Amino acid sequence: MTPQQPPSDSTSRRSFVQLAIGWSVAALAAAASSGAAVRFLVPNVLYEPSLRFKAGKPDDFPDGSVTFLEDERVFIVRQGNTYRCLSAVCTHLGCTVGRSELGFHCPCHGSSFDEQGKVKGGPAPRALEWFMVTLSKDRHLLVDKNERVDAEKYLVL
Amino acid sequence: MKAWKWFEGSRVGRSVFRVGIPRSNLERAQAMVSSFLLHVQPAKVNRRTLRPATTLGLGLISLYLLGILTVTGILLMFYYVPATDRAYDAMKDLQYVVSAGLVIRNMHRWAAHLMVLFVMLHLCRVFYTGAYKRPREFNWLVGIALFLLTLGLSFTGYLLPWDQLAFWAITVGANIAAYAPVVGPELKFLILGGNSVGQEALIRFYTLHVIVLPALMAFMVSVHLWRVRKDGGLARPEEGADRLERIDVEHLPTNKSYGLMELTRSTSLQVGKNPEDEVFSWPHLVFREMLLLLAVIAVVLFLAVFWNAPLEEVANAIHPPNPAKAPWYFLGLQELVSYSAFWGGVVAPAVLVTALVMLPYLDRQAVGAGRWFARERRLANTVFTIFLIIAVVLTVIGSVFRGPNWGWVKPWAQPPAVTEGH
Amino acid sequence: MSLENPRRLYPAFILLGAAVCILVAAAYYRDEFRQWKDIQRQFIREEMRRASTPQQRLLARNIPVQIRQVVLPELRRVDRCTTCHMAVEDPSYGGFPQPLAYHPLHDQHPFERFGCTVCHRGQGHATTTADAHGHVPYWDQPMLPLRYIQASCGQCHEAADNPAAPELARGEQVFESNGCRGCHKLGGVGGVIGPELDRVGGRRSADWLMAHFRSPASVTPDSAMPPQKFSQADLEAITLFMLSQTGASMTGFYTSMKVVPSAAQGRHLFQQKGCIGCHSLGGKGGSIGPALDDVGMRRAPEWIMRHFRDPQSVTPGSVMPKFGFNESEVLALTEFLLHLRDQNLALSLPSLMSPVERGKEIFRKFGCAGCHGQDGKGGVPNPNAKTGEQVPALLHVADGYTREELVKFITMGRHQVDALDAKRPAPPLYMPAWGAVIEPAEMADLASYIFSLKPKGDDLGF
Repeated sequence: MTPQQPPSDSTSRRSFVQLAIGWSVAALAAAASSGAAVRFLVPNVLYEPSLRFKAGKPDDFPDGSVTFLEDERVFIVRQGNTYRCLSAVCTHLGCTVGRSELGFHCPCHGSSFDEQGKVKGGPAPRALEWFMVTLSKDRHLLVDKNERVDAEKYLVL
Repeated sequence: MKAWKWFEGSRVGRSVFRVGIPRSNLERAQAMVSSFLLHVQPAKVNRRTLRPATTLGLGLISLYLLGILTVTGILLMFYYVPATDRAYDAMKDLQYVVSAGLVIRNMHRWAAHLMVLFVMLHLCRVFYTGAYKRPREFNWLVGIALFLLTLGLSFTGYLLPWDQLAFWAITVGANIAAYAPVVGPELKFLILGGNSVGQEALIRFYTLHVIVLPALMAFMVSVHLWRVRKDGGLARPEEGADRLERIDVEHLPTNKSYGLMELTRSTSLQVGKNPEDEVFSWPHLVFREMLLLLAVIAVVLFLAVFWNAPLEEVANAIHPPNPAKAPWYFLGLQELVSYSAFWGGVVAPAVLVTALVMLPYLDRQAVGAGRWFARERRLANTVFTIFLIIAVVLTVIGSVFRGPNWGWVKPWAQPPAVTEGH
Repeated sequence: MSLENPRRLYPAFILLGAAVCILVAAAYYRDEFRQWKDIQRQFIREEMRRASTPQQRLLARNIPVQIRQVVLPELRRVDRCTTCHMAVEDPSYGGFPQPLAYHPLHDQHPFERFGCTVCHRGQGHATTTADAHGHVPYWDQPMLPLRYIQASCGQCHEAADNPAAPELARGEQVFESNGCRGCHKLGGVGGVIGPELDRVGGRRSADWLMAHFRSPASVTPDSAMPPQKFSQADLEAITLFMLSQTGASMTGFYTSMKVVPSAAQGRHLFQQKGCIGCHSLGGKGGSIGPALDDVGMRRAPEWIMRHFRDPQSVTPGSVMPKFGFNESEVLALTEFLLHLRDQNLALSLPSLMSPVERGKEIFRKFGCAGCHGQDGKGGVPNPNAKTGEQVPALLHVADGYTREELVKFITMGRHQVDALDAKRPAPPLYMPAWGAVIEPAEMADLASYIFSLKPKGDDLGF
């Protein structure tokens, strides 16, 4: 900075190293703080319906019934002593499908599905999803939406 | 280093940084002028500006605190819900389940208290250095507005946690407002959106706190900074005094040239006039400002990591705490109100604000600007100091010497065993 | 080199930057190392230890370490207790040390419907032991000590109807028979000398209540309340009953449970709907319908319920109208009829009692004994009162008052009690005006009862 007395090389080098360390530390602090801010925005608890939930007692669902569960947006399908759980979320753009004579129908863009969830028409790219059904320790149907299964997989009681 | 040099020289680097790391005086000037963030400051500043004692950096600290408050405040908005049945739960969630939620809330709380404090200190500094004198009268008025905005922001934010502390501080504060002459009760009704603190008050305070007052604040801060520049930078003592105070004289090269930006009016730098008192803002000023920013962040973080912001029981209109206290910066007023609602609630704040607003127009004497406790301003300084001491004493009394039923307590004595009265 | 040269400040730059780094790291540390994570890892280790097949071991290893919560919008609660108490639903953890113990009663009160804090109190939001258990400043609902847990049953269940909460029933019994209502209102019924008790259970701790019963002045200096001489068991029972009075308003699902098994509710309905106009109990009542004393033995519960819904459906030609009871009313009335073997329930129907018996009930209902003593025998201290520093006994009212005078006295009260010594503080207890509370018919019964208190064969001696 003082042109009359140019600093010696060693002073200059030391200053440069100090400045470099200073900026590195400041950059680290900035990065860590930004990281904390992003982590802050990732929720640790959810108030939406759980992806793993108890659907009810097996006997709550009559034989041959397809029961819609509003909060969880799934159908519980019982045939004889077998239980399955079908997603009611259209694979096209996420609308909720309803029952129709042939199976299921999406009101948003007109996709239709058969009883097995297979696409029969409309823009839906894939069949409706089936979720794993198990029996909880207190003998309730336990659905896990994290686990997708084939249409042929049943819970047999 | 080589990579940086290459980047700096590249098309992208030049478009972003323009001059890069300045290596000549011309580039040092350009660094300031061509940068949006830096050009609010001149390319060269008086050497006094660098001295901590000149301003103690109080205004800049307030600005940094405002920055911290903005960032943490926006983050908190992602979780906060301004509804009476959810606000308190949001506080608990921040504390117990949100990553870094507690620290960010603490930062916001402590930075808010600090900002009120530093804005007040800044005001005192400007008074004691006579920096409100011509041509800076208007900027003093803008400063008063910023002071009131700061109080308003802090006060509106105080309610949002919806705990007992918040609820009763706002109840008490709103009732102090109701003592204002003529419009008092209507004012209270308007700010609360009803007759008592409830859902309507909460949403009003929230809207004021997150958009109305911050928008005003941003605008007024811009005006404030712009005027500092237009009024010729920091207030400086008369030439003679300055020369006497100068410690270190340096010889600058005679072959330098100055840009037009240095030709501003009045006390700022003029070509041919003691240029040896000027230094380049980059890096001298900018680097010091950055250090101060780091220091402010460090202090706020330190407070936030080791002390939690208060959160009492959920607001309950049936069980007021005894005593119910306003936020600390209103406790002087509350103490006065306890003697006389009229004198404390109406006359004192009115006189205070009026006196502050009129000050630069009453005190027209030009001498003594830019020096601390100038001898020529002995009367003004004495009067101000007396007011200041009264305000501090009242605030301290209201804060720590007042207990149940606004009776005297000794803060150092053990609090008496709480008897839960029916 | 110039004093102002920034190089001089480089070390400060490094230090400040490092300080910010360290503080950010401290914030991360505070966030990352939480007690509940250790507890969840302990649970996972235990599950691993118990796993016998590779599949079970995989399941155990995959248990996520995360905050668990039960969201209960109807109760306005979020309970995160299961973040640490992870094994509450698993009977195989019965007897396991806390926090990983099994919790019984899951069938009656499924946790996903009830959560934890609605019974145990504490701070459901919190995720550290001290905060969650609520023994911290600024949380006024610390965990209820287990020996008082039955207090929580009273939020939904009628005290007398819940065989699982005998202590609660006993507490109510102590409350009613000691005349607490003479001074205190509970559920809108009672005197005005002391404060209302509807929310007392949420505001006071068990220790406070105990101390208060033993010596009210020790915790409330200006209290007018005389010290109570309860046995230890009664003291604990009434403390528990007081703790049950939280003023919490349960809604929908929870209150429906309140009505279902309640014979007392049924008794109330039976009285209210005027069933006794047609049916008789214990030989009293109408003769249009059959006597109901043994109906619970003659008929199956299902039959009685169908009968309430539609009498003709089970007794063709019945003249009993369809009352349009809702299902919980049907259940309550059925419960009542099935419980008629319990003589007290039937005989306590006011319409079946004599005026003196009814008066005694009113004496009890409004807590007159609180000041005038059990059966009006007196003995309750009222310092500095002219009447022997005691509240007067009622045994000889019949000698000093006519019936009309007595009713007028109770109606108007006497707010100024004559002092023994004018210099000492005025006597704390006084007679409130009961006119607005006790109805005229009740007042007549009450007067009959008070007149009946005169000891037999005492006329000559006075």
